[in-house]
Amino acid sequence: MAHHEPEQLTETQLKYLRTERTKEMRIQMISFGLMIFLTFIAFALVALELDKNFIVPIVIGLAFIQVALQFYYFMHMKDKGHDFAKLLILTGLYFAIAFVVCFIMIVWIGNPI
Amino acid sequence: MAQVKGKKAGFGAVLWDYLTTVDHKKIAILYLIAGGFFFALGGIEAMLIRAQLAIPNNDFLSAGLFNEVITMHGTTMIFLAAMPLLFAFMNAVVPLQIGARDVAFPFLNSLGVWLFIFGGIFLNLSWFLGGAPDAGWTSYASLSIASPGHGIDFYAVGLQIAGAGTLISGINFATTIITMRAPGMTYMRMPLFTWTTLVAAILIVFAFPPLTIGVFLMIFDRMFGSNFFIVEAGGNTIIWEHLFWIFGHPEVYILILPAFGMFSEIFSVFSRKRLFGYSAMVFATVLIGFFGFMVWAHHMFTVGLGPTANAIFALATMAIAVPTGIKIFNWIATIWGGSIEFTTPMLYALAFIPSFVMGGVTGIMQAAAPADYQYHDSYFIVAHFHYVIVGGVVFALLAGLHFYWPIMTGTMLSEKLGKLEMVIFFIGFHCTFLIQHWLGLWGMPRRVFTYLDGQGYNAANMISSIGAALMAVAVIILLINIIKTLVKNEKVGRDPWGDGRTLEWSLPIPAPYYNFAQTPLIRGIDVLALEKEEGDGTIPSAGPVEPIHMPNNSFIPFMISLGLFIAGFGALYFASGKPWAIDAVADLPVRPWALYVLIAGLAITFISMGVRSWKDDLGYYITKEELEADLRELEARERGAN
Ligand code: HEM
Ligand SMILES: [Cu+2]
Repeated sequence: MAHHEPEQLTETQLKYLRTERTKEMRIQMISFGLMIFLTFIAFALVALELDKNFIVPIVIGLAFIQVALQFYYFMHMKDKGHDFAKLLILTGLYFAIAFVVCFIMIVWIGNPI
Repeated sequence: MAQVKGKKAGFGAVLWDYLTTVDHKKIAILYLIAGGFFFALGGIEAMLIRAQLAIPNNDFLSAGLFNEVITMHGTTMIFLAAMPLLFAFMNAVVPLQIGARDVAFPFLNSLGVWLFIFGGIFLNLSWFLGGAPDAGWTSYASLSIASPGHGIDFYAVGLQIAGAGTLISGINFATTIITMRAPGMTYMRMPLFTWTTLVAAILIVFAFPPLTIGVFLMIFDRMFGSNFFIVEAGGNTIIWEHLFWIFGHPEVYILILPAFGMFSEIFSVFSRKRLFGYSAMVFATVLIGFFGFMVWAHHMFTVGLGPTANAIFALATMAIAVPTGIKIFNWIATIWGGSIEFTTPMLYALAFIPSFVMGGVTGIMQAAAPADYQYHDSYFIVAHFHYVIVGGVVFALLAGLHFYWPIMTGTMLSEKLGKLEMVIFFIGFHCTFLIQHWLGLWGMPRRVFTYLDGQGYNAANMISSIGAALMAVAVIILLINIIKTLVKNEKVGRDPWGDGRTLEWSLPIPAPYYNFAQTPLIRGIDVLALEKEEGDGTIPSAGPVEPIHMPNNSFIPFMISLGLFIAGFGALYFASGKPWAIDAVADLPVRPWALYVLIAGLAITFISMGVRSWKDDLGYYITKEELEADLRELEARERGAN
């Protein structure tokens, strides 16, 4: 791959870059805070010793939100030029969930269906 | 950076160059040599199997040795021969086909090939170190946990090392094809071999992790005292079967899709026509890749998953036949009305269509779950998968060897010997495997070391063994052809088949180590054919001659792989004679050094990785002057040749 020598940036370009980076940083901080908060909710639910059938689906739901935040904001899936990666991650997620469901149904529970 | 040009380099220099190379064209040669070696090894094992089964009540191989031979035959052929040989062609061709200077991660490319080579050697050392694995290439946990000695450990550790290499190469090729295409090479202009390589690479990325997990669980059970598959301790052997086949079925498509790709290229070159239904072919490839993940339980119909589960998987399996059928019709339509040239690769391609269809038809028969209760574990299955793997993959490998030989070595294999080889191989193949369908239907089980006289199996087995010998003859003819060609060393020029349609044939032979002096501009599908029709047959450049950034050679991949190879022995002997070990190895002598070997090996690997991470290696530049000098020299050479 040919690497181009870094060119000198003009004043406006530099300013634009700076605002972009500040914006990016703000988004990262917000999503980080959100994720801590979600984790706190999950811990709190368990600590309160509520009904299991109530906690489990909520915690799994929170986990999915966390995964989405992770992918989109920390791993830059929201940015341009990640279409193929997005496609592959979603396909992989689909397969993985299918395998897990399948394992629960036909290995773990184990009754022939 | 020693670039030996023109001068004859000493043997030591060449060896060092290949040990450290990160050039995809040289790595292709490494894959070809190592894959070819393992192909010969697997072939010898096949001959032993057929020699044993040629007559009833034979004791040429003992029952135990027979199990080792069939296991090593299957494992070697799939993991150490077929896949690496496909990687050889992918490495040699795909970067050239998409107009790239190399793969996306040249260092990882080198790491991939060395992991495969060390994994393969590790697995095969089992022959000398107390016995090979003997639980079949599928290594079902109920058998493999009980298998005494270290054979299965060699399988598990060897596959883990080689499998890591494959996974790395899969990631590498997917990234290369997605990110490194030349300007104008849109997805829908990519040659079919590139498309099938892309889908196969993605399948590798999704399919190998389940295998890795399964094999790790096996390693922990056999070597470190865990209980994933040990039923007495609450484990479940069926988990292995699922993990193995979640990998295993996509694996057969990892093998066949690149084969489809190669045949697509061959059909269109030697019919002098564009591939019929290009977009349908691409669509079918992607669809096959996707469906390939939803059918694994068709290998487990008789496990007792229940009628609903079986029905779902049977239906999904049958659905795969639809895109496969689309492909078959498109190939036939490509040949139809073409101006056909019967070269060796084309003969293989023509022979592939009926042979592969027969394998597909038996596949559909087996996909009907109730019927599969009859076929399962009989010779019918053996016939099926050899029809698809030999009639599909091996035919493609042999066709591809003849077809791409000029690109890889700069010479041309003899067509006369090639055609002879093809005819004998074709006859031998059908002679060996056609009759096995009936053997299966008559009730002969697979993986049993002999059969009794008077069951009606004698004649059919003899025919099958004779066919196997014919295939061996064909491979020997191929070897003679290769040696003769290399000794004669008659160089060929650009586009040696005369009808090349895609970018790789536009390059001078041998291609310069940087592939393209100027980035090519792709104006359409089958770009070379297009430029031949509309212009003077040269590919326009997308930009001026510019300095090219190149990676340095590195010995680190070899060291990383060597470290894992050494660590493998430590892991393997760790449980020997320990009180907590499984019965299979509990009575063996204790190896007190095992832990230290394990640590030392891992240390070599991690220190090598550390060196790679902390020592900056920025590569080097080829200057504009050098490139221009090369271009002038090339022009003078080609003018001289005419
Ligand atoms: C039309 C497409 C195909 C269908 C419907 C199909 C179906 C099947 C089924 C149902 C089995 C399991 C039979 C049993 O064990 O009872 C099987 C086994 C097998 N198939 Fe196929 N198959 C197809 C194509 C392929 C291809 C393209 C390959 C490889 C290139 C392949 C390789 C194998 C192998 C290696 C086995 C045996 C595995 C073992 O037990 O050792 N198949 N196939
Ligand atoms: Cu399958």
